[in-house]
Amino acid sequence: MADINPLLPVSSSDGSSNLTGQATCRRPIKVVVSIFFGLLTLGLFAALLIRNNGPVDYVDVHENERGSLASTAFEKAENLKPVSRGPAAGVSEKSNWAFGGDLPDYPWNNSMLSWQRTAFHFQPEKNWMNDPNGPLFYKGWYHFFYQYNPNAPVWGDIVWGHAVSKDLIHWLHLPLAMVADQWYDKNGVWTGSATILHDGKIIMLYTGSTTEGVQVQNLAYPADQYDPLLVHWVKYPRNPVLVPPPGIGPNDFRDPTTAWLTSEGKWRITIGSKINKTGIALVYDTKDFINYEMLDGLLHAVPGTGMWECVDFFPVSETENNGLETSINGHGIKHVVKASLDDDRHDYYAIGTYNDRNGTWIPDRPNIDVGIGLRYDYGIYYAAKTFYDQNKKRRVLWGWIGESDSEAADVKKGWASVQSIPRTILFDKKTGTHLLQWPVEEIDSLRLKGKEFNQVRIQAGSVVPLDIDSATQLDIIAEFKIDSDALDKATGSSDASFDCVTSGGAAERGALGPFGLLVLADERLSEQTPVYFYMTKGSDGNLKTFFCNDQSRSSKASDVDKHIYGSLVPVLRGENLSIRILVDHSIIESFGQGGRTVITSRVYPTKAIHGAAKVFLFNNATELNVTASLKTWQMNSAFIQPYPNL
Amino acid sequence: MTKIISLFILEAVFCFTFFTVSYSDINLIQTTCKKTPFYDLCVLTLKSDPRSSTADVSGLARIVADSVKAKAIATLNQISALLKSVKDPTLEKALEGCIVSYNTIIQADIPVAIDAIEKNNPKFAVQSAADAGNEAQACENSFAEKPSNSPIFSGNKAVHDLSVVLQSIASLLL
Repeated sequence: MADINPLLPVSSSDGSSNLTGQATCRRPIKVVVSIFFGLLTLGLFAALLIRNNGPVDYVDVHENERGSLASTAFEKAENLKPVSRGPAAGVSEKSNWAFGGDLPDYPWNNSMLSWQRTAFHFQPEKNWMNDPNGPLFYKGWYHFFYQYNPNAPVWGDIVWGHAVSKDLIHWLHLPLAMVADQWYDKNGVWTGSATILHDGKIIMLYTGSTTEGVQVQNLAYPADQYDPLLVHWVKYPRNPVLVPPPGIGPNDFRDPTTAWLTSEGKWRITIGSKINKTGIALVYDTKDFINYEMLDGLLHAVPGTGMWECVDFFPVSETENNGLETSINGHGIKHVVKASLDDDRHDYYAIGTYNDRNGTWIPDRPNIDVGIGLRYDYGIYYAAKTFYDQNKKRRVLWGWIGESDSEAADVKKGWASVQSIPRTILFDKKTGTHLLQWPVEEIDSLRLKGKEFNQVRIQAGSVVPLDIDSATQLDIIAEFKIDSDALDKATGSSDASFDCVTSGGAAERGALGPFGLLVLADERLSEQTPVYFYMTKGSDGNLKTFFCNDQSRSSKASDVDKHIYGSLVPVLRGENLSIRILVDHSIIESFGQGGRTVITSRVYPTKAIHGAAKVFLFNNATELNVTASLKTWQMNSAFIQPYPNL
Repeated sequence: MTKIISLFILEAVFCFTFFTVSYSDINLIQTTCKKTPFYDLCVLTLKSDPRSSTADVSGLARIVADSVKAKAIATLNQISALLKSVKDPTLEKALEGCIVSYNTIIQADIPVAIDAIEKNNPKFAVQSAADAGNEAQACENSFAEKPSNSPIFSGNKAVHDLSVVLQSIASLLL
């Protein structure tokens, strides 16, 4: 840019014929103007220099408390203990390590890595998987679709994988259902849901990321409705059917739900989004899944929760023990809104009341609203989705379980991610505040040899080995009785701040806990994963029970997640403490109090594998003796394989 | 008079360009880098790439990702060179483990991060960036006899710290 030196005297003869008579008056004005511009220019330069070099302090700025992972590592430079903000963010709960820590990387060998593959959890034969998509039951088969990378064990090139099963357990792989072959899903055939219409036909709505990277909703349907395997799918020729509406960002519009009928006979869906940092659910009505009208209002919104992914919306009965078809409404029915929060990679739900006329929903308890209250699962669990199983009249929940090891290990072993065992969902009538999740009953068909242990007394501070043969494929149902005397005698503490996540894990002894089971533990307990209860007594005498899962000593390897997961679990008067655990190689799913609080974790032992894995009962409390009764079963493989002779 | 007017116009254009171009792009780099734990590294990395003057936050993330990859490739080359002349078996083992870590960063972590940024699904970029940082750390940790002082310490630290910057910036896109 030409820099005229404004301090040079300006010539009085500027050649303008109009001004010859005014030369003497203009000279001082010219000088003043020149000086002014000169100073302005200098001032601008000075401002530029100061702004550039000015000292700026790194401020630990977080968008919200669940946000940036980066700062946590640097607050704990020498400390590899669990971070105080809760499980590290990250799709697969990968924690961020402090640079300069002193534990070596782990040389994984093929025996350790191949052991990690599960026997009865759904996973493709290789490569990467994430969100469950479009689950449904049709013509005798359960269908499961999923986000899949056919080319690598890391996220990318996402298409829809597909598998079928007669019983939600024994799965048969089918060819890919949909690939990224249109401009409107070229950058990703992302998550979607199925709706079964009045005449039994199926439609699928899914999010496509266009060639421009815009998130749109697309319609697809089976190529042949008479094919019970629904192998081939057709995309509606005039997709997309929905594009981001005004005021919604092109990257904040995804994961359409299953539709439900309104009282006017229209279909209604909801799609998660955000406005600034408020997570929202948009609502659309349609008659044909091609033309939509967006409702003026939102289904619901919660400030500070960020983007709502994989929104789910469904009714639950307050009185019956069966699931409800998605369109059901009326007396004795509550509705659940669920969202997967992009910011912290956890799934949250809330129970409330739906207003059909204006398409809105309000939570029963705003203090535990969506995104700030209850979670489906306090471990590694995301992008969950339910469907109504009209075959057995139940609502079934799928959830994606990522890896919490290093990507180097994923690349070496050639796969990443599993799905949880499908769970039934019911309203918990006893508490009125929680949902109950429980593995579908068909899992019981995998039980082989069983063993029962009755009234095993576990003294304070002891570990009791359980004599079962193999311990890498197990179903365990355990009940714990505690002396009510000990509970009464225990002194209440005014320190009411226990939290599984920030605690010292199972090694931290309290008066009334921890006690429970050690799974995937070797004989010397050099590796162990405790699944346990921890009770606290407040100064007011009130007891609280926590259900936790401690990975801190789960493996000698340093490149795996070592956090402690868990949460409060409601325990009602007269209830014994109960746990169910499914152990399946590198995944543990644990259910507290019949599924009121659930924790899924991925565990990667180096020693407690194959025949060396064992199970123990333990009681690390100081003032409590515990009596446990339990049943354990060896679990058969589900022999998940490609559909034969397709 | 025309000289005054032309001076004025030039000045106005200068001010306008100055404020819109210089002020806004420096400001975005600064505000973005303030949200990372390595402000100076972040600013230096971004400013040394000409794309940063017109980049949005997504573009800044991309620049950092490219820088992680470049540093990782340089460090990988260093490791390979060291392996050629290494005698000590413990050191050799550590270096071989680092080859695995760096191959993961270059072939898995960074491509996924870039892909996720481009496809506007930033949570996968956050995760991959975290993993890249962890891989660099794992490599450094494997030099048990020389913690934080391995022959490739500066490469490991650069890759680690830049990965953390990438992770922070990608988090802003959530």
